[in-house]
Amino acid sequence: MRYGSKEAENVVTTAISPAQASSDTAGIALRISNLSKSFGGLQAIQDITLDLHTGIITSLVGPNGAGKTTLFNTITGHIKPDTGTVQFEGRSLVGLPPWKIARMGVMRTFQDLRLFMHMSVEDNVLAAMEPRSWFWQPAGRQANNARRERTAAILKETGLSAKSGSLAGSLSYAERKFLSLARIMATDARLWLLDEPAAGLDPPSYELFQDLLRNQVQRGISVCIIEHNLDIITAISDRIAFLDQGRVIAEGEPSKILEDPKLIEIYFGGGQA
Amino acid sequence: MSVYLLNIGVFICIYGILALTLNVLIGYAGVFTLAHAAFFGIGAYVATFVAMNFSASLVIVLIASVLTAGILSLIIALPALRVRDEYFVVISLAIQILCVTVFSEWRSFTGGLGGIVNIPLPELFFGTISTPMEFFLLALGCMAVITVIIGLIVRGSFGRSLMAVRDNESAALALGKNVARIKTLAAALSSGLAAVAGVVYAYYLSFINVQSFTLDTSVLVMAMVIIGGTGTMFGPIVGAALLTMLPNALSYVPFLPPTEIGSIQQILYGLAMILMMIFRPGGIVGRSRSKRDEK
Repeated sequence: MRYGSKEAENVVTTAISPAQASSDTAGIALRISNLSKSFGGLQAIQDITLDLHTGIITSLVGPNGAGKTTLFNTITGHIKPDTGTVQFEGRSLVGLPPWKIARMGVMRTFQDLRLFMHMSVEDNVLAAMEPRSWFWQPAGRQANNARRERTAAILKETGLSAKSGSLAGSLSYAERKFLSLARIMATDARLWLLDEPAAGLDPPSYELFQDLLRNQVQRGISVCIIEHNLDIITAISDRIAFLDQGRVIAEGEPSKILEDPKLIEIYFGGGQA
Repeated sequence: MSVYLLNIGVFICIYGILALTLNVLIGYAGVFTLAHAAFFGIGAYVATFVAMNFSASLVIVLIASVLTAGILSLIIALPALRVRDEYFVVISLAIQILCVTVFSEWRSFTGGLGGIVNIPLPELFFGTISTPMEFFLLALGCMAVITVIIGLIVRGSFGRSLMAVRDNESAALALGKNVARIKTLAAALSSGLAAVAGVVYAYYLSFINVQSFTLDTSVLVMAMVIIGGTGTMFGPIVGAALLTMLPNALSYVPFLPPTEIGSIQQILYGLAMILMMIFRPGGIVGRSRSKRDEK
């Protein structure tokens, strides 16, 4: 299997080796095949084929309008693809509503965070942790207490303990970003799709963010992250998929992708694929 | 206590129940509905039907009314809640108009425009409820129980789910919340418990007709919730008390001609809502604007 489209073949210098790309799905958290979506005349994503590997951080890189967020929206069921398949741990996600996809273990954050602004920080996390949509959660008071303890632990890990009772709407920008992460940490998701989680963070917050993410990956979480800052991408990525004009034009290890002058030219403008 | 005050007290409780239950939708789920009076009416008509044809036992009548209103709201809400906010308001308006038409035309069940008279008094284990004080205690008890039920539900996980859906539906979906089910359950809870107000109302007046269940009532109850404080526990009761007492209070103002009180009342409701929206959008009990908007 090759990564990238025919038109982009001359740009692809780092497609993964055939040995890595066996048809075996072991080690693959999410398999995207020939996924396309257009809005009217705009081809937002086009024939995307991409594997997200288990237990690593994959960065989606590319200029604005490359289709990164559309790809997230399509994976998570917020947008239905025109063609193509998405399989998580071997099960198809296409056509399922977003909440079912989330419960299967694929969750996302949003670039604009979408916190529950009029709820407390603690309630934001608790709401993410409570799986059922009925009047009561299973297992009664004991499970309830366990959830509160877990929430406290997550808030501690994300540096939000002191803000536990504050409204999400009263948090600073960096705190909001961490609350968005705390919410996804509270779920049982095994694949996280993070849309620009580090954008706008100051250096100390960024350190904390990086540690958090590494800890989670060590616990077995697979992460796919949209990011623009090349320093951040270099620091955290295990693999990189490069998108341009709705296509994956390269995928591989960071050193190879980031050293490709053609990709860098596309990324910083001036060049067209 | 004078009969006059007890009468006002009963109505405060009836409207308090309506406002409390509407607040589940408006305040916690963020769903604006104009059909609340329809479910108030369904509760009242079912109570009347059961009391006059089967049993005047309060417990049986309550169960029948709550279940009927809850199930009907499920049937209506399932398709209607799939549309987005502003369209739902339109659909709820249509439901309200449809129900009023049924109330006025289905004469064998509702008595048509003339309504139904001589509804028997409610029977409880220890006897019949008949005096104004007994009715007041009944209404107060119903309101207290509903306050507790709603309080337990909205302060627990379901309340968090509701508020999550209200604050950001797409984020709730992305976190695995079955938004359609949450809204549908909230609608069934709200409508089912609103029927309790209908039961108390029908028993208390011993007479009902369609006039009590029109769009005007839906708007009045919505005003109670907004003025009292949407998304607060006791705001709706405060709003219900204020707006129920307003017409009575106006009758004491010496220079107002009694015939004009109705229209002055409407002007005051409107004025109060506008002023609340500008100066205290969280309602009387809700957070003040400065606190809510702090960054």
